[in-house]
Amino acid sequence: MKDLLRIKSLISSDIEALLNQQVKKEAFSSSVYLAMASWCNRNGYDFSSEYFFKQAEEERHHQLKFYKYILDMGGNAVSPEVTGIKQEYNSFREVFEEALDQEISVTNSIKNIYARCMKEQDFVTMEFLNWFLKEQREEEYKARRALELFEVIGEEGTGRWQIDKHVGQIKYDSEA
Amino acid sequence: MIATTELTLWTDVFSTKAGAVYQCDAERCWYVDFAGKVARFDHRNFLKLRKAVYAIDIEEKLLNTTTDPDVEIIFICACDHCYVLSLAQIINLKELLEGTFVMLELNHIIHDRLFSNSL
Repeated sequence: MKDLLRIKSLISSDIEALLNQQVKKEAFSSSVYLAMASWCNRNGYDFSSEYFFKQAEEERHHQLKFYKYILDMGGNAVSPEVTGIKQEYNSFREVFEEALDQEISVTNSIKNIYARCMKEQDFVTMEFLNWFLKEQREEEYKARRALELFEVIGEEGTGRWQIDKHVGQIKYDSEA
Repeated sequence: MIATTELTLWTDVFSTKAGAVYQCDAERCWYVDFAGKVARFDHRNFLKLRKAVYAIDIEEKLLNTTTDPDVEIIFICACDHCYVLSLAQIINLKELLEGTFVMLELNHIIHDRLFSNSL
């Protein structure tokens, strides 16, 4: 008897479900960043707004990467429903705290898929995920650095204005 | 006679008292013998059938005390077949599919461990 499921798809249905969950997570992240961009823009933090617009774009790019991978491997990519996006924030700092939380949750979820791949010995998906693991280093670094600015510059006086200006300049160019 | 020849191409995957699932390698599909009919499912539709059946909350239906009949319509998009099943039949179909997928998984493991290495 032929292994028809394997012939049709390289990834197992469990991995496919996890990857689809990740597609949804990335779509959610993208929408959260968009809401953050809007909040920052409305409150006069234009550089931060621009920063979050870029982040939203990146998350969308990640979403499509997962989406196309599922399809290329013979799976069924599901276009996600995204609801429950928080639109209002209490402070400038809270926006960045939640951005970091968001990135940590994405890292955890990718680690979770990786662990499942290891169990199934799905080396192909593991290799695909390597790019994302590296990307998460950058994402978490940037989010953590933004929060650090609140500490080193301080929010008093023109602090928030300074922080906003510097958020736009955060870069991660480690060769490691 | 023709029917017999065709049948020989089908491999038993799993069967219960309520029904059976066969695999046809030549057509790359499965035949589900259940609720008085034999229905052909390709890879996509077979997975959709599994998803639809697994999604039914049997416990909730058992505890439900409303007077509606316990009938579930399993309709799969872009598939020719549709099942109208009672609760008992749903339980049977779920059992059949669960067993089938365990067997398919087992077949996958055998292919993985034995055949791939010997090629």
